[in-house]
Amino acid sequence: MMGLFNCYVREYSFVKQQQTAIKMYKLVGEERFLLWAVCSIQLQVLCGNGGEKLLLLAEGLLKKHVASHGLHEPEALIVYFSILEQQAKYGDALDILGGKLGSLLMIEVDKLRIQGKLLARAGDYAAAANVYQKILELCGDDWEAFLHYLGCLFEDESSWASETINTPINPPKYVECKLTHLTDEVFDSCVENASAFVQKLQAEASNDSLRNPYLSHLEIERRKCLFRKNNDDNLVEALLQYYSRFGHLACFTSDVEAFLQVLPPEKKMEFLDKLMKNSNSLSVVPTRALGQSITLLKTQELIGSMFNLPVAELEGSAVQMAELYCKNLPLSKDLDPQESMHGEELLSIVCNVLVQLFWRTRDLGYFIEAIMVLEFGLTIRRYTFQYKILLLHLYSYFGALPLAYERYKSLDVKNILMETASHHILPQMLASPLWADLSNLLKDYLKFMDDHFRESADLTFLAYRHRNYSKVIEFVQFKERLQHSNQYLVARVEAPILQLKQSADNIEQEESILESLKCGADFIELSNEIGSKSLTFNEDFQSRPWWTPTTEKNYLLGPFEGISYCPKENLTKEREENVRGFIERKSLLPRMIYLSIQSASVLYKDNSEINGSLADPKISTELKALLERYAKMMGFSLNDAIDVVVGVSRGLKPYEVFGSDVIDWLNFAVFFNAWSLNSHDSGQQGGERTPGSWHVVNSLLENYILGKLRSIGPLIQSPQGDLPILVKLVTEPLAWHGLVIQACVRTFLPSGKKKKKSGSTDQSISLLSNAVRDAIQGLCSVLEEVAKWSQDQIKIPEDNKIDLLVSSLKRNGGAGKVFNILETLASSPNETELGDRISQALRSWSPVDVGRKIVTGQCRVLSEFRRICESKIKSLKTLKQQIAQV
Amino acid sequence: MTTIRRFCCNDLLRFASVNLDHLTETFNMSFYMTYLARWPDYFQVAEGPGNRVMGYIMGKVEGQGESWHGHVTAVTIAPEYRRQRLAKKLMNLLEEISDKIDKAYFVDLFVRASNTPAIKMYEKLGYVIYRRVLRYYSGEEDGLDMRKALSRDVEKKSMIPLKRPIRPDELEYDSI
Repeated sequence: MMGLFNCYVREYSFVKQQQTAIKMYKLVGEERFLLWAVCSIQLQVLCGNGGEKLLLLAEGLLKKHVASHGLHEPEALIVYFSILEQQAKYGDALDILGGKLGSLLMIEVDKLRIQGKLLARAGDYAAAANVYQKILELCGDDWEAFLHYLGCLFEDESSWASETINTPINPPKYVECKLTHLTDEVFDSCVENASAFVQKLQAEASNDSLRNPYLSHLEIERRKCLFRKNNDDNLVEALLQYYSRFGHLACFTSDVEAFLQVLPPEKKMEFLDKLMKNSNSLSVVPTRALGQSITLLKTQELIGSMFNLPVAELEGSAVQMAELYCKNLPLSKDLDPQESMHGEELLSIVCNVLVQLFWRTRDLGYFIEAIMVLEFGLTIRRYTFQYKILLLHLYSYFGALPLAYERYKSLDVKNILMETASHHILPQMLASPLWADLSNLLKDYLKFMDDHFRESADLTFLAYRHRNYSKVIEFVQFKERLQHSNQYLVARVEAPILQLKQSADNIEQEESILESLKCGADFIELSNEIGSKSLTFNEDFQSRPWWTPTTEKNYLLGPFEGISYCPKENLTKEREENVRGFIERKSLLPRMIYLSIQSASVLYKDNSEINGSLADPKISTELKALLERYAKMMGFSLNDAIDVVVGVSRGLKPYEVFGSDVIDWLNFAVFFNAWSLNSHDSGQQGGERTPGSWHVVNSLLENYILGKLRSIGPLIQSPQGDLPILVKLVTEPLAWHGLVIQACVRTFLPSGKKKKKSGSTDQSISLLSNAVRDAIQGLCSVLEEVAKWSQDQIKIPEDNKIDLLVSSLKRNGGAGKVFNILETLASSPNETELGDRISQALRSWSPVDVGRKIVTGQCRVLSEFRRICESKIKSLKTLKQQIAQV
Repeated sequence: MTTIRRFCCNDLLRFASVNLDHLTETFNMSFYMTYLARWPDYFQVAEGPGNRVMGYIMGKVEGQGESWHGHVTAVTIAPEYRRQRLAKKLMNLLEEISDKIDKAYFVDLFVRASNTPAIKMYEKLGYVIYRRVLRYYSGEEDGLDMRKALSRDVEKKSMIPLKRPIRPDELEYDSI
């Protein structure tokens, strides 16, 4: 029966699990089987369709068992509590905790945490506050306990909100609290009690490293600010005190971030000014003094006032930071190469300042300088992952994606990190011609997720077997969380689309891929469901640079906006809408490609079933319905959307009406043309509308791509630019259009089965073959232009490009001041001060090598792109020869 | 401002800042989840404000007779929170659970022979090098088996160093 239970666990059949467990329990009366049944009930309520009434059944079962046999496992007790808690029976749970069973929990603090939570949820805040006091007396550094303690004093239940599947993984540091229900007197008395307790904790703190008692003081001052709005000075004072005690710690800014948020801008500046004055009285211990100096700079970064400073001043501060870094390098002389070096963070801050300078001045030199600074840091210690992350974003922006990918790989992002950290590279790769790397990235990620979904049930059963019942629930909920991952769903759509892109020059291969994808039917289902599906966002954005706080946002692509810091929290809502729309639209593509090929393939054949594919009218109806959906997603009716594409193609409307959805609009035009080939709508016969819709697609693609080519500058001088969009244009709408052309040409070719055509059909064929011939010609010339542009970029001698990069750092009155400081240090390292390892590393520093790597990286992207274009040109030329024989 | 509590699955989604460090291995899911399913008390996380993972420890309890011991599989701290004695706190917790709840004789751990900073730290926490395991790490680098006796091992027999190094196949347990 245990085997049977395991089978149901594997199937996530919670009801059958419950029934089997109950049978086992009845047979042998063992506690564990009862708990298996109880967990199965809980799973029905939390993850299935079970109503909350089922919990009553679970409670009844447990109660009966406890009365006759007691309980023997702490985990059983935890499950019992959660069953009661879910029914808001806090009093009952407290009685059990206070009784004999409570002794099952051997760790005192764990017991107190449960007690405090139950009391608070029962509304007995005074008693709960006492319990949290006890916890804090035992564990003086427990921040969560302190927040709960305050929550109890202020009778604020929000402190105990329960988690749901889409609760953010990194909630805001800013603790939400309700204070409005309190009178002045009650608030004052609560604050008085809390302050007295915190003072006691401070006095009792046996070692100086306990931050909690001091942060607790800050939290009290923050709440005073929120309640009265006139406590800013006290909060500033408390922050200064915190700095004097913990200012040397690397976590200082992260500790105080939430407190700074409640201060108005002028008070933040006042705090910063006061801190700066402090910089004259740094610690006498050099590492401590360095830590304090770094904290000052990080606080400045956090306050986000950098964009206000004049360029010269900003540059001056970057220079000072670089000098500070060099001056303090000897402190790391004796460290093991694997240990973090003192002052490492300085180079990250310098990089942030230099990127800000680039954004403001558009002087590329600053951008190159930012890259050089980080590469310099990695030359000295090659393990610093923070540098690698910043570099991979800089390289991505600079069009040197292979380098970015190399840096990404050196981060060793594997297993669960692929879910939380691949956002650093995945979006750029999706818009790149590096298909082999992208394919690996997607394959590895999907394999990891699918493996986990497969293994998860066995691991859940392991938790059952080892009687860790709370983990059973946790594992099932976690699997659901990953199944709803937005990134996973995107990857599931993008992986087959990549395959379709890769095979688009060969219609037979494309058809066999489509066949393996069930002709896109499953993706249509995904598109239908996505609107109502809850999505989870598990990406960890904390380590992203300030200028690209999420995958969708990159400030450097737009004009200077006056930002130098961007909180990465609360961005989920906006992202959720974007991702939903993206998946909804993109998952229509495989089916639309399939139908477009079919539409062009059955053109002049009988309406009977061909190779099991859809008959003609069905294709047309379904494709039209999808076009309607696609248009609706872009905010238009089908007819209006057609008007838009026709208008733009005739030059009556500008391309700007497409907004940022240009690829979607061009895809729409391609599929519209395919549908027109075979449409009987509006009384028109297939083919009669054909030349018009062919012309629409051809001119849209030609004009847009050539327009982009004309405006695009040399890659080496214009980071990012329009290369990703060019790649998308060629590998998506143009490729799909190429497939429609291939399908048409195939129908023209003589085959044994072909019936004799009537005279009117001959005329239509001739009209269509002319249109197809023009399309082939048009696409060929566009692609040749693109390939030529790529080739011209590649052809520029490497040394010229490197010179261009390095000389951008050596112009008078521009970037390069920080670079010079690092160069000076590297040119004559003081071996006695710096030790062997650092001196040797410095001697190996070569900015020209960095320049060469950038140039090579950019060239590889261009070569891959050119290869794609040339493959398409070759395929089109073959079609041209074939059609000439018709 | 550190809350130390049991590690849960969602913490796997929060530990990137810790695990991106080159010395911290990111294992496969079944590895983490086996530890969670079997020894949930030996997998603890130190958490800062906003559920930030400051560091974590994972371990297990195993063995027979006088070899019944706690084992530290991994202990790691995010760069931002280093040099604050947090690893010591986590180690003490695991030792306490091994000692008080599971009544183990000792706690042991494996460390790369080249990882001098970690070896020094463990020595400060009372661990001694019990034996060297030849080519323990991917058949290349030697590992050091370090031990600390708990109260049940009154005579501290468990930490008397072995005189000769051993091969990985001589290990009593799969000690990852």
